[in-house]
Amino acid sequence: MHASPPPPDEPGIKLREHSYDGIQEYDQRLPNWWLYTLYGAIVFWVAYWFVYMIAGLVPADGAKIDAEMAKIAAVKMASSLDVANDDKFWEMSRNPVFVDAGKQTFNSLCIPCHLPSMRGKAEIPTAVGPDLTDYAWLHGGTPKEIYVTVSKGVIAKGMVAWEPVLGQKKTAEVVAYVLSRHQPGETITVQPPQ
Amino acid sequence: MSLETRPRSASARHAPVRDSVTTISADGSRPFLYPADARGRFITARRLAAYLLIAVYLLLPWIPVNGYPALFLDVAARRFHFFGLTLSAQDAWLLFFGVSGLGFALFFLTALFGRLWCGWACPQTVFLDYVYRRIERWIEGDAPARRALQDAPMAAGKFLRRAAKHALYALVSLAITHLFLAYFVSIPELWLYMHEAPGEHWASFLFVFIAAGILYFNFAWFREQLCIVICPYGRLQSALTDDHTLVIGYDTKRGEPRGKLHGRVGPVSDWPRDRSETGPTFGACIDCHRCVQVCPTGIDIRHGLQMECIGCAACIDACDEVMVKVKRPVGLIRYDSFAGFSGGVTRWLRSRTILYAVLMFVGAAVATYAFSTVKPMNFLVYRMTGAAYFVGHAEVRNQFMVRLVNKRTVPATFTVATAGLPAGVRQTGFGAPVTLEPLGESVSPLILLITRKDYTGPFKFSVQVQDAGRAFTLAREVEFIGPDARLLREEEEEREHEGRERQEKKHD
Amino acid sequence: MTGQKITIEFNDRIVRQFMLASIIWGVVGMLVGVLIATQLNFWQANFGQAWLTFGRLRPLHTNAVIFAFVGNMMFAGVYYSTQRLVKARLASDFLSSLHFWGWQLIIVAAAITLPLGLTRGKEYAELIWPINLAVAVIWVVFAVNFFWTLAQRHEKSLYVAIWFYISTVITITLLYVVNHLSIPTSLVHSYPIFGGVQDGLVQWWYGHNAVAFFLTTPILGIMYYFLPKAAGRPVYSYRLSVIHFWSLVFLYIWAGPHHLLNTALPNWLQLLGMTFSLMLWAPSWGGMLNGLLTLRGAWDKLRTDPVIKFFAAGVTFYGMATFEGPLLSIKSVNALAHYTDWIIAHVHAGALGWNGFMAAGMFYWLVPRLWNKPLHSQSLANIHFWVGLTGILLYVSAMWASGITQGLMLNATAEGGTILKYPNFLETLNAIRPLMLLRVVGGVLYLSGFLLMAYNVWRSIRGASAVNGTMEVYVEAPVAGEKLGVAGTFLNAPVLYTGLALLGSFIWMFTSGWLNIIGLVGTMFCVLLAIGHFQTRGTQWGEWYDKLLVNALPFTVLTFFAVAVGGLIQIIPMLTIDRRLQTEDRVARVYTPLELAGRDLYVHEGCYNCHSQMIRTLVPDVMRYGEYSRLGESIWDHPYQWGSKRTGPDLARVGGKYNHAWHYDHLENPRNISVGSNMPSYTWLKDNPTDYAALPTKIRVQRLIGVPFPNWSPAMIDTLAKEQAKDIAKELRAQGRYVDPDREVVALIAYLQCLGKTWEPAPTAAATP
Repeated sequence: MHASPPPPDEPGIKLREHSYDGIQEYDQRLPNWWLYTLYGAIVFWVAYWFVYMIAGLVPADGAKIDAEMAKIAAVKMASSLDVANDDKFWEMSRNPVFVDAGKQTFNSLCIPCHLPSMRGKAEIPTAVGPDLTDYAWLHGGTPKEIYVTVSKGVIAKGMVAWEPVLGQKKTAEVVAYVLSRHQPGETITVQPPQ
Repeated sequence: MSLETRPRSASARHAPVRDSVTTISADGSRPFLYPADARGRFITARRLAAYLLIAVYLLLPWIPVNGYPALFLDVAARRFHFFGLTLSAQDAWLLFFGVSGLGFALFFLTALFGRLWCGWACPQTVFLDYVYRRIERWIEGDAPARRALQDAPMAAGKFLRRAAKHALYALVSLAITHLFLAYFVSIPELWLYMHEAPGEHWASFLFVFIAAGILYFNFAWFREQLCIVICPYGRLQSALTDDHTLVIGYDTKRGEPRGKLHGRVGPVSDWPRDRSETGPTFGACIDCHRCVQVCPTGIDIRHGLQMECIGCAACIDACDEVMVKVKRPVGLIRYDSFAGFSGGVTRWLRSRTILYAVLMFVGAAVATYAFSTVKPMNFLVYRMTGAAYFVGHAEVRNQFMVRLVNKRTVPATFTVATAGLPAGVRQTGFGAPVTLEPLGESVSPLILLITRKDYTGPFKFSVQVQDAGRAFTLAREVEFIGPDARLLREEEEEREHEGRERQEKKHD
Repeated sequence: MTGQKITIEFNDRIVRQFMLASIIWGVVGMLVGVLIATQLNFWQANFGQAWLTFGRLRPLHTNAVIFAFVGNMMFAGVYYSTQRLVKARLASDFLSSLHFWGWQLIIVAAAITLPLGLTRGKEYAELIWPINLAVAVIWVVFAVNFFWTLAQRHEKSLYVAIWFYISTVITITLLYVVNHLSIPTSLVHSYPIFGGVQDGLVQWWYGHNAVAFFLTTPILGIMYYFLPKAAGRPVYSYRLSVIHFWSLVFLYIWAGPHHLLNTALPNWLQLLGMTFSLMLWAPSWGGMLNGLLTLRGAWDKLRTDPVIKFFAAGVTFYGMATFEGPLLSIKSVNALAHYTDWIIAHVHAGALGWNGFMAAGMFYWLVPRLWNKPLHSQSLANIHFWVGLTGILLYVSAMWASGITQGLMLNATAEGGTILKYPNFLETLNAIRPLMLLRVVGGVLYLSGFLLMAYNVWRSIRGASAVNGTMEVYVEAPVAGEKLGVAGTFLNAPVLYTGLALLGSFIWMFTSGWLNIIGLVGTMFCVLLAIGHFQTRGTQWGEWYDKLLVNALPFTVLTFFAVAVGGLIQIIPMLTIDRRLQTEDRVARVYTPLELAGRDLYVHEGCYNCHSQMIRTLVPDVMRYGEYSRLGESIWDHPYQWGSKRTGPDLARVGGKYNHAWHYDHLENPRNISVGSNMPSYTWLKDNPTDYAALPTKIRVQRLIGVPFPNWSPAMIDTLAKEQAKDIAKELRAQGRYVDPDREVVALIAYLQCLGKTWEPAPTAAATP
């Protein structure tokens, strides 16, 4: 049942004498380059461990992600404005570049609820969104409050959080467009949301 | 590990054996192969095929179709251009047909012709044999000359040749990888990259240099080791052959027992018998080792089908050349099936090949259908985050977002409409057609409202997108949902009741 | 030296039993796989039955394939080859039968309990504690039977296959016991004693090495026996066997943390996971090449012999999977691939290609020998091969395309990298729907091939009489000086040099200053000395190893040390350090009783099979799901629920993101909220009552394992839970959804709404190991 394997036909190849249930073993080498990949991986581990754990040349993951997110935040700030600064918003709302850009976004996204006139329920009682041109605000009427409302949304009422969709710059432009229908210092009232 | 083995130096040359791999010495080092030149019909045909493939690779990024390169995988913009057809990220699943279609075609071809891919079309073989080895041949000469150069001590002449060869290798590797990058960024963009500081495009720069380094290492030194040790595909192909698959083989029946020529020229029947008449009758093989000398993977094809054989057919041409010289019929080594070699007839139509052909046909049909349904736009409807529905004072409201993707390279205008809505439903959003810039995308709200009294329960409707030219309409079914209609009624009645009471009170 | 000649008859009955069981369970496991793959495309495919949902059946699929299909196959192969390689009949027929029937009973118990949702909530370790105990007992029965047979062997020298079997037996014992340590709260429920990051680390130390020592090493042993047998060729290289066996068993253990890359797992562990995975490439390929180059001499048989075809393809897939593994362990590649279908492609290349094809090759080889009758049909076996290979190709290429597509879409950003291009997870899910369908086609093809084999085997053995192999052996007197003894085992050049070099490198790794440099210099010194010694006295090393091979116990002890080191270094520091220090800057508060009830429901329904609770330290993750997860946020989680796959979005910070009504509607029918979702509708949650009665015991056990619950009385717990349920139900009522507060859906909402909201700033600064 066990055919004995043929003897190697070259003297350089050694066949081990021992046979296990008819299985014999040569004792050939694998290519050296294969061994070098193992040695290379070991050297890589030593270098990597040294760089990260011993020398601490590279920040840990937590610090790294914080830095990356800070960089993104910086890009956001650089591309738009200080979103907590009311004056800047008012300034934007008087600049036609921002206002026109904001109007374009508003007309593609906001008019289904707030209508092209921005007057919402005030114009058509059955409209979904409230009037954005009057002095009564549901969720705060200072520029930075409006910005928060647009960017974070009012989930219970169906107002979507727009910042994740639009990014900070476009969101700020929309706010500037809304503010272009208002005056700094005008008297506003805040109705608590029902 | 006490075993003593007789070390072989790297340059020592041994005849290939069945128990070991020629390119792995007893001491683990790698004997470099110097395959001799062969001439013949297969070599010529392979050369033509290789040049054609190289030309295709070189030219594809340059040929514009519909304003984009014939093949342009724009990963940055997630747009994939195939000969004028543009796919978006949402169509990426079609890549599956590329992968599995290639797989099936290769299954089919392998069942018929063995490792045809390896010998004729694999980039490893094509670039190695028809670019890098050509450079080597040109600078260092034929196989004996190359071997002599290898054994020669390092002197000025040798150093110069080696330096020139490796410099050319490096240049070619860089060229290949740059072109490869062009498939992903396009030629003009690549040109721009090359003129700017590497720091402007670190990722691309690193990619090109690492890839070029790998190519250089592979083609300058690693070569057949990739096919023998690394590549899984060669092995799977071998497992896909059967008794009727054409492979390159040696006709043992005709060739054995092999023996030196000793004046035995011409067909076997013409040979002088041994004087004693009792000596061996010789086969057609004159044991000249030409087939071994030309083999790029270092095997002796006369040992039968082997793992290393990439089916390059060099040994066929080499043997035929010798057979013609000694005036014996050609084809001692040839493309034939195992059935053919053992005197039978090769069956081309077998259940397997038929099955593969059918599968390939079905796959091609499905792929054609799938690709033909790819519209130059994509659209998707999803519910706005927040809540499933909103119940207002007078109405129930559902809010959706519609993503439109223009896959054309020109601006396109689409109208979005709803169909199949019951009475009492109002739609806002998409009052006007939407125009998208070339390859542009947009996301806009679509809001539906139904008066409380008209709402009787969830209903399905369809959102339809039509392009301005009315060339196509895409539709998706969406469900409008709301609270239990009976609850609405109850609430309504309660409210009416309260209202009436209030009025009655007023009247009182 | 020849002694008395005796004839032994092998116990091949047990081999036949295990083989047939493997085929039957293989069909079951793959059928469940096809069903759940179908459910990913057609959510209705659970027919509205709780016990048929993906979350409950996916564990059944993985457990059936790993422990029932491959397990039975491995026992068949181990028992067949061991008896012949050591020239001895299995030590005990009783233990063999106990092993077989015990194992089948365990599988049946698993097939009943898992669909019922009785689970420990840890992947490949889902079975409940009474079954765990049974597994441990049966595994010990196997170990005793195996080592007892070794003790009775007539072939003194251990062949390489036996080395792999030994490593399997001892390592699985170690892994299984540690990862299943838990404290019961009832007959069918328990909490693992480890929590949070400790649990995650132990889990993947186990999970990864279940792949290594259950799906790889025994199959390598089987390869070393059956492949040269079938090819009729000598094994290519003995020295390669030595090198790749020791490096494989030593390195494999360390790689577990690569399942937790870019998570909150401490950096040093991630780093070990990644670098040791890279080191694993060469040893894995050593095994692959030894098999392949052995086949090389019989390459022409590949054309006709289905056994050789299966082995060649199996070994090739092993090579592909072990190349892909280190690739996926590179942190940046992992960032794209983890949680996607790419990982599914990877494991199925291993399971279908390596395990499935090696099994088929072995079965086709065994049938004629165990029943003394030729295989019913060679051509049917060939068709099995072609169909199976086509199935793998379809499956794996579909999952590759799917994983990469979804990974790229999830990572895509817009507006200069400040927002996500596809903020809605569903968009990425819908993009891969067609591919998930093609995966079903691939799976069906593979299963069809497997059924062909089942038919072929059935036709072959029908009416055939079973035969047991026999062998004539010579009873040899023990040779003096063969025993190694304790000194001989440890005090020799190879072991000493390895031990000292490792010690040096550990000193270098975990110390600073002078000690650090001493460690590094010491390691290098040891390595250089070892190389010098090997160059000059290499024969001594070889002679010692030859001697070790006739000493089974010392061999086993050394193997144990080789596998134990990695686990000790990685796990001990994490277990001994005070949990409260592993918090980074946040520490979780304990759950309210109702939240705990909801969490147990989350585990019970197997939500972790599709949802992770781990926001990685990667920009796209943070942009999509919020701040990255900190260790401290899950320190009290028994079991941890970080997850390993995102068929749905991450839930680590879903708490408070939506209102209760949203969750209610979504659980009732996810498509209410998410058009195109493939999540099951959990309609029964609003009918099933919450199990308040179990809460006091559960909280008592949690207190026992170190979770700082207040010392509430049972009545107090009941009141707290019911009060909170009432509040939630009231809020739901205000949002227009009527629900009985005492239903499961309320508890689950309580849990979901607390996710990501249970932490407070940590009182002390975070500590590093």
